[in-house]
Amino acid sequence: MSWEKELEEKVSREKLSENLGGKDRIKKQHDAGLYTIRERIDILTDKSSFNEVGKLAGHAIYNENNDLIDFKGSNFIFGKAKIDGRNIIVGGDDFTLRGGSADASIKEKHLKCEQMALSLQLPLIRIVEGSGGGGSVKTIETSGRANVPEVEGWNLVVESMGTIPRVALGLGSVAGLGAAHLACSHYSVMVKEKSAVFVAGPPVVEQIGQKLSKNELGGYEIQLKSGAVDDAVDTEEEAFEAAKKFLSYLPNSVYQLSDQIISKDDPKRTLEWLIEAIPKNIKSVYKIRPIIEDLVDKDSFFEIGKEYGKSIVTGFCRLNGWPIALMASDPYSYGGCWTSNTCKKVQKFVDLAETFHLPIIYLVDCPGFQVGLDAEKRGTIKEGVRAMSAIWQTTTPWMSIIIRNCFGVAGAAHKRGSSYISRFAWPSARWGSLPLEGGIEAAYRSDIENANDPKLELQKITTRLNKLRSPLRSAESFLIEEIIDPRHTRRIMCEFADLSGPLRKTGKTNRTMRP
Amino acid sequence: MIYSEVSGTISEILVTHDQIVEKETDLLIIECMKMLIPVTTKNKGKIINIYVKENDIINEGDKLIDVNYDI
Repeated sequence: MSWEKELEEKVSREKLSENLGGKDRIKKQHDAGLYTIRERIDILTDKSSFNEVGKLAGHAIYNENNDLIDFKGSNFIFGKAKIDGRNIIVGGDDFTLRGGSADASIKEKHLKCEQMALSLQLPLIRIVEGSGGGGSVKTIETSGRANVPEVEGWNLVVESMGTIPRVALGLGSVAGLGAAHLACSHYSVMVKEKSAVFVAGPPVVEQIGQKLSKNELGGYEIQLKSGAVDDAVDTEEEAFEAAKKFLSYLPNSVYQLSDQIISKDDPKRTLEWLIEAIPKNIKSVYKIRPIIEDLVDKDSFFEIGKEYGKSIVTGFCRLNGWPIALMASDPYSYGGCWTSNTCKKVQKFVDLAETFHLPIIYLVDCPGFQVGLDAEKRGTIKEGVRAMSAIWQTTTPWMSIIIRNCFGVAGAAHKRGSSYISRFAWPSARWGSLPLEGGIEAAYRSDIENANDPKLELQKITTRLNKLRSPLRSAESFLIEEIIDPRHTRRIMCEFADLSGPLRKTGKTNRTMRP
Repeated sequence: MIYSEVSGTISEILVTHDQIVEKETDLLIIECMKMLIPVTTKNKGKIINIYVKENDIINEGDKLIDVNYDI
């Protein structure tokens, strides 16, 4: 008396499930330079750590005696696994079976995957290819009726955005619901030239008169600049590494805090070159990334969304081993002015830091919002006030270091109203309601126009006002708390990280973040 | 092809046709939001075409310079 026979059948069915869409389809996938979903999970996760859930779920064919003659697994595979020794949930589409579409899916598996991550409070990595379990036109024939559109389980996705880290990897052509899953994440990655992401692919778009290749329609250059996807890398392996690195800064859920790690980088390290990092010529720009990379713990800066809203650089880093969310202005893009897209980037990043309790450091060089017709057409002020509101709603410890410009309403968004933040300025800092340059002509128009020598008058006024804008004069009135030697900035940032670490509190934010 | 990342005015063009340029060479300067922003090369390359001239007003996404990096 034994259950060996039943177990044998189970093992045999599991083996059939491992065949995915069959040899020919797997070859096609490999010929396109892509891994299958099982290979992807193997590479992404720690060796032998993947515990699949629902491997026996799929579509079986029986003969007239009800004996199994063939079995194909569902085209969505998920389970618990480990990455770098840490538990996660991973789920992914099998493109070799009906292109990952709902025709070969079992929708309950998608729901269970989302429920499992949310209930166990573990990070979720979704590997998306195809329509991500969405329907295809063929569904109408297989089901014999048309569906009223519904995205079942989206409530779980929305809830998890405010509860657990969600990473999405788009590793081939991704459309419809798949694209929605990619966009609905805290961090998303595509593979250059291999991935394309769109609401609907080229054959559908051709129907509205746009004849475009996959890359022209939804390649990485399009989707990174649009902000729909955060990053692109050269290989699938690099996408997996990016997912691991992103998660390494975050806790498993909002109910935990991410750990301080041992840093070998001296928190008191001085950076001699920073005394001349900001050009004296106010029209000249400088590169912010080398400054960031030298200020933070060695090799710890992980940039997110490099190609989007480029006037602000955003990313995670470590300072004396503490995880920190860092924003810094980039004068190479609109002189550091906040464009409409910059404002959207700030909203998402600040919300991300607040959700997972990361203290924020902002290196400020913001001459204001972008001005001009383009800026008005893109609703810059609307997105600007949304970004400001996101900043004002934060409670996580905040530090701002004004390294150059800080002007206007956008400049004021370096802090959240009158609540306490740690604030410092470099001697190169300049601030005001408006930059003097260009503003003097308007404010002193009649003086200049009525002068015998208008050009000389403008020069005299400029010299007079320039004397007043030294940051030291603002410090006299305690408008700025401290002017620091730029060479000691790392020490001050590490002290902030040390002070902030114990202040972090777990729990959900009052208003959970949207993707 | 190098496209403009910003809108502004071409302040200065620093290279000529057929010139060989090293990695991270400034090719031209755009005046944008009162700042002078250089446009640089990613790698060593050869200037194939220059689509703008000094004082041109340009928009985000406009073609600036074609560089052949396969040299």
